[in-house]
Amino acid sequence: MSIVDRLLAIDRRWIFLFVLMAVTIPILLPLGLPVTTTGSTRAAFEYIESLKPGDIVWLSFDYGPSSAPENDPMAEGFLRHCFKKDLRVVVCALYPLGGLSLANSSVAIVAKEFPNKKYGTDYVNLGYKDGAEAVMRRLGENIADAFPTDVHGTPISELPLFEPETVPVERRTIDRVQVKAPGSEVRMGIRTIGQFKVVFTAATGLIGEYWITLVNAQFGTPIIIGPTAVSAPKYYAFINSGQLKGMLGGMKGAAEYEQLLGRKYPELSKFYMETRLFTGTKGMDAQAGIHAVIVLFIFLGNVAFLLARGRERKG
Amino acid sequence: MAALFTLAVLSFLYKDNPIFRLAESLFAGVSLGYFVGITLDQTLKPNLFEPLRTNFNLHWDLVIAGLLGAFLYMRYVPRIGWIARYGLTTYVAYYIGVEFTRKVHGEVLPQMARTILPVRGFDFSGFEAFFASPGMLALCAIVGTYSVLIYFFFSREHNAVTRPIARLGVWFLMVSFGAAFGFTVMGRVALLIGRLNFLIYDWLYPIFGL
Repeated sequence: MSIVDRLLAIDRRWIFLFVLMAVTIPILLPLGLPVTTTGSTRAAFEYIESLKPGDIVWLSFDYGPSSAPENDPMAEGFLRHCFKKDLRVVVCALYPLGGLSLANSSVAIVAKEFPNKKYGTDYVNLGYKDGAEAVMRRLGENIADAFPTDVHGTPISELPLFEPETVPVERRTIDRVQVKAPGSEVRMGIRTIGQFKVVFTAATGLIGEYWITLVNAQFGTPIIIGPTAVSAPKYYAFINSGQLKGMLGGMKGAAEYEQLLGRKYPELSKFYMETRLFTGTKGMDAQAGIHAVIVLFIFLGNVAFLLARGRERKG
Repeated sequence: MAALFTLAVLSFLYKDNPIFRLAESLFAGVSLGYFVGITLDQTLKPNLFEPLRTNFNLHWDLVIAGLLGAFLYMRYVPRIGWIARYGLTTYVAYYIGVEFTRKVHGEVLPQMARTILPVRGFDFSGFEAFFASPGMLALCAIVGTYSVLIYFFFSREHNAVTRPIARLGVWFLMVSFGAAFGFTVMGRVALLIGRLNFLIYDWLYPIFGL
């Protein structure tokens, strides 16, 4: 059997083995390859940097465990950035299969790193709500209609983050029939999604697109998206049209965001070097290795194909 | 358990085997069961059952929505399967209405506006600067968009003018598909990296006290 025939007939399990080695070796022996940043990630980072302490942002966990290796690092990186900037964060989950548990675990992990942040005042977890598009439409009218309580069952009108205030209510009548008794009611200062400075959606599937085409289009709220790498190409059209403030594309985007965080905040750089948690930066060495393996096999496959075709033409 | 099931699923790469089948069936069953539970607890209970139970007079119209949803399951009974068409029609009509506004207002119009670009602002100071200049990017966007649209115009046969433009559109499409494929590979590999990272750092290392 000639070498061309061997290459064309190679058992796929050898390729799987090479891929396994290309991923495992960098995990066991980190290479520390540099991570370059792209314009879309820098745009997202700089937009958050431009916000002032006390500004309110929305973080939506729109992914499940199936894409957690890509979306977890970007959601947690964004949350760390918000806490460093002293922004107020409202967290929710709109993905039905596991979105809530991922939101709970990520918020718990990052909140532990920032013990000075107080639940209810600096950040709130509203939990999961089914319906995606319907929820977004309700958020544009009244957040309390979509999320009457937080994940712990506390009415959101009792959470200081939403700036509740008790206002006197006068007696109201229609055609001399009383429709509202005199008294007082709690009104929230933060009532609609339009009052938020940005929505960050860590998304898989269509939910990320809904934020752009519903919330940004109808209510004008700026959106930053952290999609999976599979979905990232389609969002470049939204970046070019100005509908997105930035994008973190897949695990690479998460690694880029962590790089930017490390450059701006040295304590976070130290954290990302020492943590045992899975981060985007840790995955980049393995990504580089496996991409090299894939390119090598594509090259070998094409060489074998061209040699075989040349041989057929000769003989 | 998570580590063992991960290894069971990955064992398929060597050969199909009963352990993989067990893991696959469990995964499918547990996912479906979880989804049914979530739907009952997070969708039907707060949006249908509880409002009807607590204040029927205010929420009586939800009965219509509930019935339309139940009608969809009538297709499993051949004699009354025709009832399912009412539920399906309402479902499809609702989504057409919602998606039409969303797509037009949120995608078509803003992105169409973005293709109306001034072709100016070329930077001739260097090779890289030229191809990164606003004028060049605008030119690429315009040429790419219109050549691809001409490629997909099938109402008339391509002639000597449109055929080369359509061919250029094919090149743009192939480059886009290549970029999308590259991103897809990166995405799938990232999931593998996450799984192996879990196996090594969250399973093997603690076993060996590392």
